[in-house]
Amino acid sequence: MILTTLKKESKELFRDGRIRIAFILVIILTIVAVIISAWHYKDINEEYVLAKQSEREVWDNQGEKNPHSAAHYGTYAFKPKYPLALIDQGVDKYTGTSIFLEAHKRNEAQFDEASDQTGLARFGNLTPDFILMFIIPLLIIFIAYNSLTKEKEMGTITLLNSQGVIGFKLIFGKWLAVFSPLFALLFVLFVATGIILSSLPDFGIFSWSSLATLFLAYVVYYAIFINLVFIISGLVKKSGIALVLSLSIWILVCLILPKTASNIAEYKYPYPSKQEFAENITKDKKEGLDGHNPWSEASKALEKQVLKEYGVDSLSQLPFNYDGYRMQKGEEHQAEVYFKHYKQLKAQYSNQSRVYSQLAVVSPFLPTRFLSMSIANTDYTTHWDFADAAENYRIETQKFLNEHFAEESEYGDWSWKADADFWKQLPKFNYEPPTLTENLKHNIGNILILLCWLLGSFAILFFTTKSLKNVKI
Amino acid sequence: MLKYNFKYEWLLLIRNRWIQVLTILLLILFGFAVYNGIQKVDARTSNIAEAINQFKTGEKEMLAQLDSIDKGFEVNASSWLVPTRPIVIGNLHPRVVNMPAKSTAFVATGQSDLFAHYVQPIVTGDDSTLSFKEMTSPVQLLFGSFDLAFVIVYLLPLLIIAFSFNILASERESGSLKLLASQPIDIRIWVLQKLGLRFFWLVIAIIITLSIVFIVFGFDFKTGFMSFVALLSIVIAYALFWFVLAFATNIWIRSSAKNAITLIGFWILFVLLSPSLINQMSNTLYPIPSRTLMLNEMRSIKAEATKKQDEILDNFLRDHPEYATNDSTQVRGFYQKYMATQELIQDELKPLLSEFEAQISNQHRLVNASSWLSPALIVQNTLNSIAGTSTEDYQDFKRQSLAFSKEWRNFFKPMLFKDSTFGKSDYKNLPEFEFSYAIVNMYSKTLGLVFLSSLILFLVLALKPSKQQIELFG
Amino acid sequence: MIHTNNLTKSYGDLTALDALDLEVKEGEIYCLLGANGAGKTTTINLLLGFLKPTSGSASINQLDVVEHSKQTKQYLAYIPENLMLYPSLNAIENLDYFSGIANKNFNKKTLESILTEAGLQESAFYKPVSKYSKGMRQKVGVAIALAKDAKVLLLDEPTSGLDPKASFEFGRLLQKLKQKGVATLMATHDLFRAKEVATTIGIMKNGQLKQQWSVDEITLSDLEKNYLETMSYNTIEL
Repeated sequence: MILTTLKKESKELFRDGRIRIAFILVIILTIVAVIISAWHYKDINEEYVLAKQSEREVWDNQGEKNPHSAAHYGTYAFKPKYPLALIDQGVDKYTGTSIFLEAHKRNEAQFDEASDQTGLARFGNLTPDFILMFIIPLLIIFIAYNSLTKEKEMGTITLLNSQGVIGFKLIFGKWLAVFSPLFALLFVLFVATGIILSSLPDFGIFSWSSLATLFLAYVVYYAIFINLVFIISGLVKKSGIALVLSLSIWILVCLILPKTASNIAEYKYPYPSKQEFAENITKDKKEGLDGHNPWSEASKALEKQVLKEYGVDSLSQLPFNYDGYRMQKGEEHQAEVYFKHYKQLKAQYSNQSRVYSQLAVVSPFLPTRFLSMSIANTDYTTHWDFADAAENYRIETQKFLNEHFAEESEYGDWSWKADADFWKQLPKFNYEPPTLTENLKHNIGNILILLCWLLGSFAILFFTTKSLKNVKI
Repeated sequence: MLKYNFKYEWLLLIRNRWIQVLTILLLILFGFAVYNGIQKVDARTSNIAEAINQFKTGEKEMLAQLDSIDKGFEVNASSWLVPTRPIVIGNLHPRVVNMPAKSTAFVATGQSDLFAHYVQPIVTGDDSTLSFKEMTSPVQLLFGSFDLAFVIVYLLPLLIIAFSFNILASERESGSLKLLASQPIDIRIWVLQKLGLRFFWLVIAIIITLSIVFIVFGFDFKTGFMSFVALLSIVIAYALFWFVLAFATNIWIRSSAKNAITLIGFWILFVLLSPSLINQMSNTLYPIPSRTLMLNEMRSIKAEATKKQDEILDNFLRDHPEYATNDSTQVRGFYQKYMATQELIQDELKPLLSEFEAQISNQHRLVNASSWLSPALIVQNTLNSIAGTSTEDYQDFKRQSLAFSKEWRNFFKPMLFKDSTFGKSDYKNLPEFEFSYAIVNMYSKTLGLVFLSSLILFLVLALKPSKQQIELFG
Repeated sequence: MIHTNNLTKSYGDLTALDALDLEVKEGEIYCLLGANGAGKTTTINLLLGFLKPTSGSASINQLDVVEHSKQTKQYLAYIPENLMLYPSLNAIENLDYFSGIANKNFNKKTLESILTEAGLQESAFYKPVSKYSKGMRQKVGVAIALAKDAKVLLLDEPTSGLDPKASFEFGRLLQKLKQKGVATLMATHDLFRAKEVATTIGIMKNGQLKQQWSVDEITLSDLEKNYLETMSYNTIEL
């Protein structure tokens, strides 16, 4: 029974010229989007490899220098693009790609694409995620809006009922007729992407299991959308109204609610402005030890403590260069200050995330968006993770430099220079993005909400189809 | 016919509750959007005010210290923080170079969530380190803001589509078209009048609701009246465009569902696809050079320059004898070397940076030219201009603040080279910054849209009616 | 008043109307009988200009309906099988609107009197048309014809779905219009009503006018016999 309906519906859909055209258009758009993204991905990663390499060369070849000068000279941490960014670019356009690592200061990532582009960039790019998140749901509406209303309009529903077709079986057949071509489209797209990614020189860790999980997330998203459209089609009498209602739902779920969520999140849990944030940090820094200022109260206290600890009367009697030691202590204090302020910022972001989760209850778009970005490692959390890793590396670098300075030179000898070879000993910065399991664990809330949506919409669909039998024309 | 259409269209719209629903919907959408916009503008304004406040506090203290020193008193400050050192004024008391919000800034978020609204350039800073990026959650940037521009560009066309997609088809589907078509009228003119009247009522509803919302949120009509008029004109022109499209589809396509799908198709094309296609095109044709590679180059230039600081200073003083002191015993200090090196670095970086500027302005030109492919784009750009939040405005701010940054450096340069002290009299001569928005022609695009709409209308009316149109009931 | 000359309409191979010659004079009521698809509605649609003839011509008041489609519509009134009005407007408003766009302006009193003349009960004048029965809507249709001062009336199955009383009343109305000199062309299945109101009766089949009588020449039972014969002949042919 289900199979018969599936066959009949598929035939009908396939014969509908408009649906064929729509399908072809979506396929063309998808291909264009994938090709463009693949280029972009390749360019960025080539640049990344080049930049990383030459930056390291600059660092290694800085010649004889005081370690603290080198600390001020600094180095850069570059953020790579991960393979699944090919499918979902996430927030990558808005996050910087390089972080300057220097003494005393934690810097924000610089050079996001959006700042360098025209205002047009804010409309969105033609990327696979744009098609997956926005266009395919529209295609679903377009295919399915009249799947039940047309039976009512033509009066065939009574005929079907008289044939003993039970509501749910009829609906399920129709449901499969809409779902299977989409599933096929999605499957081909993902497999093609997987092949492209495994053939490209491997820059990141591409895993088929991440790709499969991403695939699954979109399958669920589309199933929810099909359910919503079917519920509407089952409840109203006219195709026109079903279309308008389905579109309104789309606009609400995909456009209005995410924007509203962003407004509410910002209003309830605002970020400090860049300058405000910097000022708060400066204030806290001043209260503690400044490695460059031996005259401050904190410096004097440290001096006393160290002298006491080592049981000597003057700093020059210490077994190490006290300047380097103080520099390191100052660095540690500043790192703590940054840690504290960034923790606050992160807390603010978690609060904002809660707003998004709350609104996800009314919009399946939101959990899918976050889940998809997260699996693709293009979300804000991954960016945080990268920034934290860079900060840890910065702290380690400072320690490495200060300790060398403290151990190798005499107190007060600021003109002392480290060997030209010394810089090569600094370990390289290596960043591993969160794994799939970590990402899924982090997104457990989104996954649950999405599943609730899936089951809930199926349940509602089931109940509406029960009453469909009694629809009077 | 017009008189009767006018009278009864009104009656029908009122009785079917169209006017009421539309007005309430517009009030809610406009109200929420303006509320959000004002929240953002308030945050922006208070951030700037706070910065200025802090600057003023510091300034007051500094002036008091200068005053004391003038009178020969001792001041309670570490030697390197004494304000008679020009570097202290130049680095620790930077001006708040800010971009105040236009009175209409709440209309469109534009790029305001991406860029900072004030910077504080210091003497020893250089242009490439001045960051114009605001600290915003990228998720927020990704989703965008529910602002008035969103309501107008995205939602208004959908309201218009819902309001106009089945003018003729619904008559056909309900059966009243037969009676109508047996009257001595031209059905195309009849559809045109019906749509014209709906357009008229929608415009009235927009004007009334927008005025109410603006009044409720305390918009200053005295100073902002012209901007309000410009805003209304572009909105009305945009609405006109969609009504003309609706007219064409009503005339050419029979069933209301197909009409709706066609119009939605136009909406997807103009609002969703064209902008991203044009953006993609501009990025492909005029790719922005890699920032990461620029960074590498910048590093080498700087490293090179730092190594040769002494030589650079010599060369610099040869080129700028006015900065050289006659006192041959004077030690060349850190700041002299630094400033001279900075100057050289700036010069060497110029071609690199101008490459970016050039590509961005190339992109802008392309985008401006191709924006006529999508009225949504035109309207968004115009709204951004009205709000003073367009990319151009922020580039303007960048230009003006970099120019000021240079002015600020140049003011202190002779003092630093000659090791002179900063006195109270110098204070009045410090450069001040005031941002000025570029004057944009707000009506050219509105007129363009009206022209485009008239063109479509003319084409639809001039084309011979198809067999389908004549045979209303085939 | 109504005149068709060799009027033909075909869709590809299918000929919906085949060389129809028809004449309806002032004060005449011509009833077209025939099965569904015989070409009755096509004839009316051609006269209304809703369809373009493949060949031949049709005229109303000596004006070609294709060339002078606007003028001819000034003279004619049309009542489709299922007359639909604007449901949220009442009878007065519907009448005012339809006669208004046909360039006839009336005051409220005149509108009321026209509706009365068309036989609509006064209590219904100000109720929304959505609450009307088919018969009541048809009366408003007649009122629109009256208001327009139509010289020609085109009716497509006007009595189908009417109860006998409403059907009878409708017949009386047609008689009234006939006396005013209106030329009426009516497509119908209702042999009884046709025999009662018509001046001329024609039977159509496969787009052709097969037989035609003046109403006095034929009795109701002969009409029925002929009608059924034509129809069965039809099926045999198929």
